[in-house]
Amino acid sequence: MNKGIIIFAQNSPKVDYALMAIVSGSLAKKNLGLPVSLITDTQTLKWLGTSGKKQLAEDVFDQIITIDKEEIFNERRLFDGDESEIIPFKNFNRSMAYDLSPYDKTLLIDSDYLVLSDKLNQYWDVDEDVLISQNCLDIYDDSRLGYLDKYVSDTGIHMYWATTVMFTKSDKAKIFFDYIDSIKENYASYSDIYRFHIKQYRNDISFSIAKHVIDGYITDQEYVLPPVLTVTDRDILHDVIDDKLVFLISDRSTADFFACSLSNTDIHIMNKQSIIRHADKLLEMANG
Amino acid sequence: MDKDFGYLIIINTESKHDYTNMAYALALSIKNTQKEGYKKVTLVIDDKSKLENITSPWVFDLVIEKKLPQGWDCRTYMDKLSPFEYTVCLDADMLFLEDYSHWIDHFIEKCDLYVPSKSYTYRGDVVTDNYYRRAFVENELPNLYSFFTFWKRDTQVVEDFFSLVRDITLYPDEFSNVYLNKYKPKIVGTDEAFALSAKILGIEDKISYDLEFPRVVHMKGNVQNWLTPTDLAFNMVGFYLNRKGNLKIGNYQQHDIVHYVDKDRINKEYVSILEDILWKS
Repeated sequence: MNKGIIIFAQNSPKVDYALMAIVSGSLAKKNLGLPVSLITDTQTLKWLGTSGKKQLAEDVFDQIITIDKEEIFNERRLFDGDESEIIPFKNFNRSMAYDLSPYDKTLLIDSDYLVLSDKLNQYWDVDEDVLISQNCLDIYDDSRLGYLDKYVSDTGIHMYWATTVMFTKSDKAKIFFDYIDSIKENYASYSDIYRFHIKQYRNDISFSIAKHVIDGYITDQEYVLPPVLTVTDRDILHDVIDDKLVFLISDRSTADFFACSLSNTDIHIMNKQSIIRHADKLLEMANG
Repeated sequence: MDKDFGYLIIINTESKHDYTNMAYALALSIKNTQKEGYKKVTLVIDDKSKLENITSPWVFDLVIEKKLPQGWDCRTYMDKLSPFEYTVCLDADMLFLEDYSHWIDHFIEKCDLYVPSKSYTYRGDVVTDNYYRRAFVENELPNLYSFFTFWKRDTQVVEDFFSLVRDITLYPDEFSNVYLNKYKPKIVGTDEAFALSAKILGIEDKISYDLEFPRVVHMKGNVQNWLTPTDLAFNMVGFYLNRKGNLKIGNYQQHDIVHYVDKDRINKEYVSILEDILWKS
C-alpha cells in the first residue's frame, strides 16, 4: 500500500494558501519522509506561476491535482496578532479528499499545520479506516479554548478536528467521505439535529458528525490521532531560528505577549499571515 | 451462575411520583438485558397492593412488603432487606441497556462492598461538575454514589458500614454538626450518609477504587457540562427509546446504565416497549 500526504489550498484575495501549502508540504515531506500532493484550483495554480513559485511547488509536490474553482466561499475574521480583518476562504471541497487522493493510505493536513516531527508516522499501521484528532490543545493552556472548541454546540456532540485526518482507501472510508458530502449538502438540517450555529460551513463539524454517526452515535476516544497543538491567530510566529519556531503568545488577561519557542513538535498555526511572512525561513528549515 | 446474586430495588409509594412504575421499568430492563443467573430482582415496597396496576409483576422474583416509620429511608436498611448473598441495590429511576453480567462476576470475586465514585454525562464524559456536591467538596467527603451498591452478606465491613449509615440517617443533625460543619446540606441523603460512613470508618479506598464499571449516566441537568444551566436535563435533550429497547439521549446512543432522574420520564409507552421486548424474548 502506498502512503502519502495531501494538502488542499485554494487562494483567496487576502491569503496565499498555495504558499502555505508549499511550506507545510515541504516540512511534512522532510519529517515524515513521504510524498506530498497538492489539491488546488486552476486559479491558484495560475497564481503559483505568476508569483514565481510554480517550480518550487513542482519540486515539493509529488502530484498537483487540480479541481474546479469554488464559486462559493465562507468569510471569517482572522487575526494577525492584535490586527484583524474579514477574510474570505474556500473550504467546501474537503469531502473530495477520498476520491482525489492518489494514495492507498492518506494523511490529510491543513495548509497551516506544520509537521515538525515524525510522530504521525506511528499511526499508519493502526487498524482503523479513518483516524482524526479528537482534541485541540492550546499552546498556552486550556483557558483560551472556548466551549465550541470542544463541542459542536451546547448539547451537541464532541468536536473532532479535521486539521489532521488519516484514511485508508476502503468501503468504510468511502462511506465516511460520502457522508461528509451529504452533511455539507444538508447542512441546515444537520444544524437542527446537532444544534450548531449555521453561520458558516465548518469541515470540523461535518467530520465530527460523520465520525460520531459512523462510530454508532458515540464519541470514540480510543482510535484517534494525537491532539492538534495550536497557536491561535492572536499569537504571532515571530521568528524561525534553526529548528526552532519562536512565537509571541497573547495573554488575553493582561493584553501582553510573551515569548515561547518550540521544536520537534507538530503545530497548527492559525495566524496564517505569520506563516507567510516567514515562508522563506520555514522553507530553509525544511531543506536544512 | 451458581452464586446467589440478585438486584434489589427499594421504593416508597407515598410519593407524588410513581416509583412502582419506575421500579417495574427497571426490572423489565434487567430481565431484557442480563444473562440467566444475573437477572433476579427483589422489590421492597411499602404497599404491595400498588403492584396490582402493573401487567407483569412476575418480573419481580420476590416482593417484600416493608413499612418503615414515616421519614425513614428504607435504603439505609438495604443490607438487612436483601434476600441474596450477593446484592446490587439500585435506585429505581434507572434503566439497564446492555448485558453487564461479567462485571458481577468481578464484584463477587473481588469485593465485599463496592460503591462507585464516578458517574458519566450522556456524552460519555466523567461528571466533573460539583454543582450538586458542594457538601462533598467542602467537607472533603469521598465522592460516593449510592445508586449502584454491591455487597456480600455477612461481612464485617458491610456490617460496620451500614450500621454507621443508619446512625447517620437517624441522627443527621448530630453528624452534620461534627462532620459536615464546613457546608451543611439541606438533607443528609443516602449519598452523603454513604460518604460520611466511609470517611469515618476510613474505608474509602477499600470500597471505592477506580473501576470501569458501573458506568452510570447521571441525568441531573447541571452536571452535563452545558453552557445553559438547568436542573431538568430533558428540557435540553430528547429521550428516544425505540422498539428494540435502544435508547438515545440527545445525539448519543446509550450503552451504559442510565439514571434518568426525571421521575416522570418513564411513561406507559416506554413501559409497553420494555414489556413487548420481554414478552417476545
